[in-house]
Amino acid sequence: MIFRTACREALGAPALAMAATFLAFGAAVQAVGLGLGWALASALLVYGMPGQMVLVTAVATPGGALPAVLGAATANARFLPMAVALTPWLGKSKLRWLALPFIAVTPWAMAMRRLPGLPPEHRLGWFLGFGLTSWLVAGGATIIGHVIAPFLQAWMLAALLFVNPLYFALILAGETRAAPSRRAVIGGLCATPLVLLLPPAWALLAAGVVGGTLAFLWGQFLSGQSVSGQAIDRR
Amino acid sequence: MTGADLALLLLILAGLALRGGGMLLAVRLRPDHPMVRWAASVALATLAAFVAASVLAPAGALAGIPFAARLAGLVSALAVLAWRGGLLAPLLAGLGVTLGLAAAL
Repeated sequence: MIFRTACREALGAPALAMAATFLAFGAAVQAVGLGLGWALASALLVYGMPGQMVLVTAVATPGGALPAVLGAATANARFLPMAVALTPWLGKSKLRWLALPFIAVTPWAMAMRRLPGLPPEHRLGWFLGFGLTSWLVAGGATIIGHVIAPFLQAWMLAALLFVNPLYFALILAGETRAAPSRRAVIGGLCATPLVLLLPPAWALLAAGVVGGTLAFLWGQFLSGQSVSGQAIDRR
Repeated sequence: MTGADLALLLLILAGLALRGGGMLLAVRLRPDHPMVRWAASVALATLAAFVAASVLAPAGALAGIPFAARLAGLVSALAVLAWRGGLLAPLLAGLGVTLGLAAAL
């Protein structure tokens, strides 16, 4: 059954990356004096680490929480292009809306690798299995992180946080076999100086939009297609 | 409800709107539609920029790991990926090298 297969796939390196990151998040929430319920609600219902971290950092400063919402939402704005890119692979069934809470970097990145090679009738089941497993791992790790926070040293927290970029680097390296993905990765790398120059809340999104758009236009140029002449498919 | 609770609720609603809006926008598009390919390109580029920034100039606790250790960890992970494939072994190798160098430096 494809659902179980996807659950097993999520329990390898993806689970390690998720667990490490959310463990660190749970510890960070405990460090600013917020409860386990807040940590869990943030992990499972926001389920987007940059935004979560922006918010948890802001609540540590008096009166800083509400103004930080816009920055945190902007940091998570990549959900929009991810959902646009993923949805056509999930089929036409209304059940595809079950996938909504699971759209996050790890399930999305794996889905964009796996779904094109699966029969259409298996794609939604695969994503739900992978997404639910990753989501549960994230929740469990957040609880553990919140509980063990007082025992974590700074270097342990740093190591846990580094698992995530390492994992994404491996995902991206696998993606570069396909030319459009390779161009997107190169575009993102070239736009990285923007991350270092712009305000943190929206620097990552700006780099992604600039790098990704240039990569897309580069691909359009190479294939001789005109972007402006194409309308949204209304089939 | 405290300010932190209200902020969290607003962020949850924003995430719902972003994910739901993306799904609504794409519901009638094919995977090869230019808008879908553009969105995938933006999402991948965002991820690449995140990885590069995390290695080159991270913020917060991650900055406690020396640059040489972060870079060596990344290179090791990619080398193991090229050598034997998979994800878990390269990930553990990269983390091991990072931690070993961070302790030594």
